[in-house]
Amino acid sequence: MAAIEFQDVAKVYPDGTRAVDSLDLQIREDEFMVFVGPSGCGKTTALRMVAGLEEISEGTITIGGRVVNEVQSKDRDVAMVFQNYALYPHMTVAQNLAFGLKLRKIDKSEVRRRVAAAATTLGLEDYLERKPSALSGGQRQRVAMGRAIVREPHAYLMDEPLSNLDAQLRVQMRAEIQRLQRELGVTTIYVTHDQTEAMTMGDRIAVMRGGTLQQVDAPEQVYRRPLNRFVAGFIGSPAMNMVNARLTRVDGDLTVSFGEHSLVIDDAVLAVRPALRAHEGGEVVLGIRPEDLEDAAFTAAAPGRTLTIVCTLREALGSEVLVHFVVEDESSAFIARVNQLTAARVGEPLQLVVDTTRLHFFEPASGLAIYGDVT
Amino acid sequence: MIAFPGRRARSVEGSGPALIGPDEWRRSRIKWGVGGAQLLLLVGLIVVGLGPLVWLAKSAITPTNDTITYPMALFPHGAAWSNLREAWTNVQVGRYFWNTVELAIGSWFVQVFVATTAGFALSVLRPKYARVITALLLTTLFVPAVVLLVPLYVEIVHPPLIHHSFIDSYWAVWLPAGASAFNVVLVARFFDNLPREIFEAARIDGAGPFRLFWSVVLPMSRPILGVVSVFAVLASWKDFLWPLLVLTNPDEQPLSVRLPQIQAQTSLGVFLAALFIASLVPIIGFLIFQRSFLRGTGLGGAIKG
Repeated sequence: MAAIEFQDVAKVYPDGTRAVDSLDLQIREDEFMVFVGPSGCGKTTALRMVAGLEEISEGTITIGGRVVNEVQSKDRDVAMVFQNYALYPHMTVAQNLAFGLKLRKIDKSEVRRRVAAAATTLGLEDYLERKPSALSGGQRQRVAMGRAIVREPHAYLMDEPLSNLDAQLRVQMRAEIQRLQRELGVTTIYVTHDQTEAMTMGDRIAVMRGGTLQQVDAPEQVYRRPLNRFVAGFIGSPAMNMVNARLTRVDGDLTVSFGEHSLVIDDAVLAVRPALRAHEGGEVVLGIRPEDLEDAAFTAAAPGRTLTIVCTLREALGSEVLVHFVVEDESSAFIARVNQLTAARVGEPLQLVVDTTRLHFFEPASGLAIYGDVT
Repeated sequence: MIAFPGRRARSVEGSGPALIGPDEWRRSRIKWGVGGAQLLLLVGLIVVGLGPLVWLAKSAITPTNDTITYPMALFPHGAAWSNLREAWTNVQVGRYFWNTVELAIGSWFVQVFVATTAGFALSVLRPKYARVITALLLTTLFVPAVVLLVPLYVEIVHPPLIHHSFIDSYWAVWLPAGASAFNVVLVARFFDNLPREIFEAARIDGAGPFRLFWSVVLPMSRPILGVVSVFAVLASWKDFLWPLLVLTNPDEQPLSVRLPQIQAQTSLGVFLAALFIASLVPIIGFLIFQRSFLRGTGLGGAIKG
């Protein structure tokens, strides 16, 4: 088990594209780190640089205190799980699991022991003599995991390992991978574009965009305290609603107004975001998460904390209802996640209560979140 | 296996959209018309495709007089199995046969070795200059083989560095067989289409280039190895000009070179028996390998998507 460290790492392609730029990140021993971001954000490139499958153009990567820039993949003692499994099609499951151990000249009885142990952990005992073509998607995924487990490496590198599974299996494997990682206590980097996976699996998540790291923190922190508009919009589903707004003082209360609506800003918000006061009389970007909006029929309303809107689309998800509406014009479409028993109807007005203790504010120009420390 | 077009078409009947719908099949004109056309086509193909081979097989065990007098009759005066024995021993077809086998095995090995290793280097290892080499290889495909005969011959007589003529040695046939740009390009294209992730997985698992080649790439390449092997063996089996030039000792020559020369000294029946023996190996080889090699199912389950 080893710590992994990126120091000012960059990947520059011959055409000058910087797929990863000035990446500084310390991953602690035994930590489950998730790289998350949209396609092309550089998360997979960063992972492949750790694996030794991409050359490191600038900076250094350290695994367990050893700089590995010039070390070959096979000597880095990491194991990788690929998105499409990459099993050896001509070998049985047992041979797939044992291949990496054989190449490391590990004693035959030890190989057998580890393969049997991994097969038991992953429930593959009955499939050891089958070829990958005779396995289901979920079973192949397990074999790919098993191939990593038997190696007992310093770190696991996982490149969107669940993206080819169906939804139900994905939830199941998500839990299984977490359980395995906890049991085995191996440093893990997990790449995904799925923010649900990121939120549920990682000890910390690193949000990336366009090759640069946007924020690294525990999932709840990233959700509660996003550092910029991108992170705020990317983490959380449905995405955070955002609209340009003005900060004014009405009757002594700091108020944010947009379209025909205005909301009173709680002291709790100002306590967390003292820098907000400096924006009084100016423009800000207001962010409200869909889950911080509720049908007024199900929660106590207070003056200055409600929005009266017209529902434009109603999506019933069973456990909750998503109410779509616009607050200003067509470009400011909002979504509210409200109680499943809501009476919202398309085309009819609805009163929503806003949890104004959880409002988010961003600077319009830089997109940075407005807190006390970050201005 | 021979597919019966008639049966295939019928089996589709009713199970989905077909060229001729189920309703139309019930009309007797269509039923008999299409059925008859299919039967004619099948018989025609069998006569054209198998006819000469069957005739050769029949004539190989028919006395010479009968073959000349009644070429299409079926054993009017009994079979002459002695033709085969005589061809094998007296005319020494047996010896030439084994010469041919030896030449074919050697050529096959050299061709497969060069094609797979070169293809691996160009497609999987991909050094920076791989593109240049691939381009050069492709250009050699445009040079007619006949143009290369003289320079190749000179090279075999005066090989560089070794300074020992290869004439009358099988190496004179084996080594030039490897210089097939077509095979290299064919194999490299096949390797290009193998999933890169598997190579990367093997590298992370600890495989170096040799292990990657032997334990991962080669076993996944059975379909293309089959294709190259069939090409290599058939080309070597029927090659006439090159062995004639470089193998001057009759005892070392293959069937393709010897058969035309023994024709004058042998009776027709024995000669046809010799021809039959010579054509047996390619036919049997094809029947055996077409199924196992050309299926191309080597990649099932390797990757998803």
